[in-house]
Amino acid sequence: MLKKKAFFFIFIFQIILQSTALSKEVNIFTSRHYESDIKLYEIFRKNTGIKVNIISGEAKALEKRIIEEGKSSKADVFITVDAGALGSAHDKGIFQEIKSKTLETSIPKNFRTSHWVGITKRARVIYYNPEKVTSEDLKNLSYEDLSSEKWKNRIAIRPSSNIYNISLVSSIIENQGVEKTEIWLKGFVKNFSREPMGDDRAQILAVAAKEADIAVANSYYIAIMLSGEKGEEQKKAAKKVKVHFPNQNNRGTHMNISGAGILKNAPNKENARKFIEFLLSKEAQQHIVNNTYEYPMIKGVKLNPLIEQFGSEFKQDMTTKVDSYFKNQSKALEIMKISGWR
Amino acid sequence: MNFFEYKNVDFSNSKNIILENVSFSIKNKGQTICLLGPSGVGKTTILRTIAGLKYISNGEIILNKKILSNNKIFIEPEKRNVSLSFQDNALFPHFDIEKNIKLAISKNNNGPLFFSTDELMDLFFIKHLKKKYPHEVSAGEAQRACVIRSISKNPDLLLLDEPFANLDHNLKEIIQKNLKDILKKTFITTIIVTHDKNEAFYFGDYCGVLLNKKFEQFDTPFNLHYKPQTKKILEFFNRGTLIPVKFIKKNTLYNDDLGEINAEVPTTFSINQSFEILIQPEDLHFDESSNLQLEIIDRKFNGSNSIYVLNTKNNNKISASVISDHYRILEENKKFGIKKPIYISNLICF
Amino acid sequence: MKNLNNKIWFILPFIISLLVFIPIAIIIYSFFLETSDYISLLSKTYLLNYLVQTFILLISVIFLTSILGIGSAYFVTFYKFPGCNFFSWSLILSFAIPGYIYAYSLNAFFSNYGVGYTLLNFIYSGINYNEVIPKINGIKGAIISLSFSLFVYVYLIVRISFNYQSQNMIDAAKNLGFGPIKIFTRILLPAARPGIIVGLSLVGMEVLSDFGTVSFFSVNTLTLAIYDSWLIYDDLTTANQFSFYLILFIFLFFFIENYTRSRSKFHTPSKSFKDIKKITLKGNKARFVTLFFFLIFFCSFIFPLMQMIYWIVKFPKFYGVFEFMEIFLNTLYLISISTSILIIFSLIINYGIRLNQNSLLSYLTIICTSGYAIPGVIMAVTLLTFFSYFSEIIEKLFYLNNIKNFFIGTTFALFVAYFIRFFSLAVNGIKSGYEKLNTSMDSASAMLGFSKLKTFKKIHLSFLKKNLILISLLIAIDIIKELPMTLILRPYNFETFATKAYYYASQDLVELASTPSLLLVLITSFLILILKRFILKDF
Repeated sequence: MLKKKAFFFIFIFQIILQSTALSKEVNIFTSRHYESDIKLYEIFRKNTGIKVNIISGEAKALEKRIIEEGKSSKADVFITVDAGALGSAHDKGIFQEIKSKTLETSIPKNFRTSHWVGITKRARVIYYNPEKVTSEDLKNLSYEDLSSEKWKNRIAIRPSSNIYNISLVSSIIENQGVEKTEIWLKGFVKNFSREPMGDDRAQILAVAAKEADIAVANSYYIAIMLSGEKGEEQKKAAKKVKVHFPNQNNRGTHMNISGAGILKNAPNKENARKFIEFLLSKEAQQHIVNNTYEYPMIKGVKLNPLIEQFGSEFKQDMTTKVDSYFKNQSKALEIMKISGWR
Repeated sequence: MNFFEYKNVDFSNSKNIILENVSFSIKNKGQTICLLGPSGVGKTTILRTIAGLKYISNGEIILNKKILSNNKIFIEPEKRNVSLSFQDNALFPHFDIEKNIKLAISKNNNGPLFFSTDELMDLFFIKHLKKKYPHEVSAGEAQRACVIRSISKNPDLLLLDEPFANLDHNLKEIIQKNLKDILKKTFITTIIVTHDKNEAFYFGDYCGVLLNKKFEQFDTPFNLHYKPQTKKILEFFNRGTLIPVKFIKKNTLYNDDLGEINAEVPTTFSINQSFEILIQPEDLHFDESSNLQLEIIDRKFNGSNSIYVLNTKNNNKISASVISDHYRILEENKKFGIKKPIYISNLICF
Repeated sequence: MKNLNNKIWFILPFIISLLVFIPIAIIIYSFFLETSDYISLLSKTYLLNYLVQTFILLISVIFLTSILGIGSAYFVTFYKFPGCNFFSWSLILSFAIPGYIYAYSLNAFFSNYGVGYTLLNFIYSGINYNEVIPKINGIKGAIISLSFSLFVYVYLIVRISFNYQSQNMIDAAKNLGFGPIKIFTRILLPAARPGIIVGLSLVGMEVLSDFGTVSFFSVNTLTLAIYDSWLIYDDLTTANQFSFYLILFIFLFFFIENYTRSRSKFHTPSKSFKDIKKITLKGNKARFVTLFFFLIFFCSFIFPLMQMIYWIVKFPKFYGVFEFMEIFLNTLYLISISTSILIIFSLIINYGIRLNQNSLLSYLTIICTSGYAIPGVIMAVTLLTFFSYFSEIIEKLFYLNNIKNFFIGTTFALFVAYFIRFFSLAVNGIKSGYEKLNTSMDSASAMLGFSKLKTFKKIHLSFLKKNLILISLLIAIDIIKELPMTLILRPYNFETFATKAYYYASQDLVELASTPSLLLVLITSFLILILKRFILKDF
């Protein structure tokens, strides 16, 4: 009987403990899952004394939870790995305006809005196998060219449900309009060498294993593989693959961001602002770039050598505003589905 | 007041009426009552209503001055101190036999029994099965264990449902004797349901014959045999044939097939009155030279005696019992001579 | 008197059904809400594909799990062969491997430059093995992963059914001149049917609500349609509508199960029950059966285990940073509370059903158990919706503040979610055990003077003891493995092995996921071994 009672009290105590919050802290909801980020938050705590509490999960699941918690939400900052997800969250009205001169000056205009800011950049690049693809083929190659007959049965890419692909197509819609994009998609999908499957790394490996000649995937994956983090085989495989930055003779390579916003009901608003400013400090940016092979958001940060070797001076798309990724999201998915992209 | 009273009870399930205005009683504590009847007639239902496993629709059940069931009162089965031993094995499958019995002893509120568990198990020949689990013993053994379990509770009223259905003949006789002994010494009031007449007459201080939703007769075994009250009782016990007779003169009856029959006729009948009497096989004797010769249509060899089914001139069938000494002679004969005059010592007439 | 009793036993199941009905009601309610045009887009393009893929996956996994599960249960129960004692319990170890972890392993081994490639290259390099090694991905991968991680449901439950069959039946069949195959198909299988159906319907429900595995292999099932419409198309209403169809699907399972159950009560051991005599296999037959078992054991447990160990050995720098103790205590806390709540409520409900033998109550219970079919994310989301609404009402009613904090972002919501999700497992598990205890035992107990409560305590509980521990273990393992609901509903800084593994795996760090995964597997395996040693001694 006593045991049962003790059990019950521990249960209640736990729940009460969980529902009360400490003040010198910042609570972040994040769909960015890097071990190195946790070390970064540790640095933040050492610098400011503010403890970082983390809930990680899929962006939409976290968004829903923030909405449902409403006023009693303890979440301060929401971090995602895609501009479209930030746009969606803003659309739901869960962000508050970020008023920070520091951020406004350090972040390029197309990578921020009044309610959320980019933290890092990643390029969606074309990987190719030099044994199968000539430099002639690659000359001035844009995303738009991938619908050409020439690439029939040669392209590997993830399924249409992948958010990076949706954002890529959204950016093409923003630049070419819906009709042109739809025509492009129909040709593009016909050129797939296999049913879309696996993650971005699997696409790069497919190129290395000659299952496909080119693949579209995010920039940092090749660096992860080259670092040897994923083992010798993948390192060797990655060496067989080269990177091409598309659209160099027009708007530039499609860039996506990992970004953050402060939540409307944030209990630790001030800490949240400090936290985001910290993420965009030189120290933090260098830490992220060193560990995750992403491109920095601010100037004066040195690229990781593993990613730098593919070129640091390529033309990034600085004109297409990343908040268009959310705007065009549903249209993009619709025409991707209609054109038969699994 | 009677120790146990089953008064005007009706019982029906969702479809049919099973019992209709059934009454019986047990006068004194320690008596044994047997309920007889064909299968499916509702004997088990009576036990279950007494045990409180079924709700009666009308009537009253009283045990030891306490109302168990009526229209308003229903005492939960576990509070009745009535113990029913089921026809099918109802031992708890996850306890061994000893633990099954111990559970009952733990609920004995009437003081210790005359017998120890070991003695009881010995008397039922299952002492060696103490540590066995129900699925490891035979159906008959399990049933005996069930009976012991029910007795061990020392209940106010013990209900046994076909307790020896799964036993072979010889063992049955010994165990019947032992059980009777146990019931006498423990002074437990008992109701036994059976379809075996011999068993009922052996155990019962009173026996009830349940036919068609009610008791046809509730009486002592002696009366059931010698003073049956209805023709249905005769039919149920398969006692012989009813034949029409005419009362022609003092102590003499006349039947068209058999001629004159001598018997002491009850004074309620008057001369020239016609009625029916029971002819039992043992009333007819064999006489090779008799002038009443009847055709034999079937013979049953029962060991020391044999039963012959005979056809009369009016195509009625009657049976005659003969000691088997005559078997050899009769085997060749097509006819059976009946010794005259026919004399019936205990006349049953309607 | 009688009626009053009935009412008491109705209230609790009724409340629980209401609780379980929350997500279902919200899903149904969403039918009256406006949706985006995603659903019409889908029906124009991929809806049929989603349905076909779901169906193929379902049928294939049910087919494979029934062969693996019934086959292994059959040989273990009725035959002796080399290693039969070892395999009889070691197959249960595959319970420790969640489908998504199996999927990671399968992919890691067979993909381009994967572990298979490395091994072959180690033996002899110089060939492009990438072209030789079959690619186990897409629906193939999902079928294999789900079958090997789920067949043990069928194995366990069918084995219990087989164990309760009497040798008399087999002898009688032999006497009729039936051979072993005919005995199996005509006698044993039909007699074990309730067990088979319960096992397979559990598998069916797991398949239908699986997300981790199908999303990893990009198999377009209905769950993926639900996730896609919510996570990508931002249309929760459509997601809920898909969930509704999925639940209809599940109700089909329930109907089949309950129909077959009600038609025949095979489970009760007859009074002439005889223990099964095992037949000793010899020669090639024995070798073949042993090989069959070895392959199942290898594929279902050793293979993913080796894969995880391989990763840990290969990437040793990762496991230094792991907060084992904290995660272990979190897991223990979740399991102990959830399991006790589930067991207590399921016992009460089952007892109520037994006491009343009322069909309405049984149907109510069936509704209660349908929560199992609701995909994890949908469950989490609908519960969030409900709790936020509910706490707002309470706040208004009692002029309170911050009630929401009690429901959301604590383990409370998690316990409710687990309760709804695993209620079916608990109730049906106890039910199948309960049905083996003939109701005449209750009368027998009453005859001994035991009240209903005493009967429950002394007779039922001790009869169900093994069953209860078995069910608790299954629930515990399911909770350890549960991912989406824990992910969404858990409090701040609260990790389980599953969320930790997901955290790594989702961010392209599958190799790192091996540490929490391996610990998860080791802990559940340890539980299984304890169970084997102390509860299922002769299992």
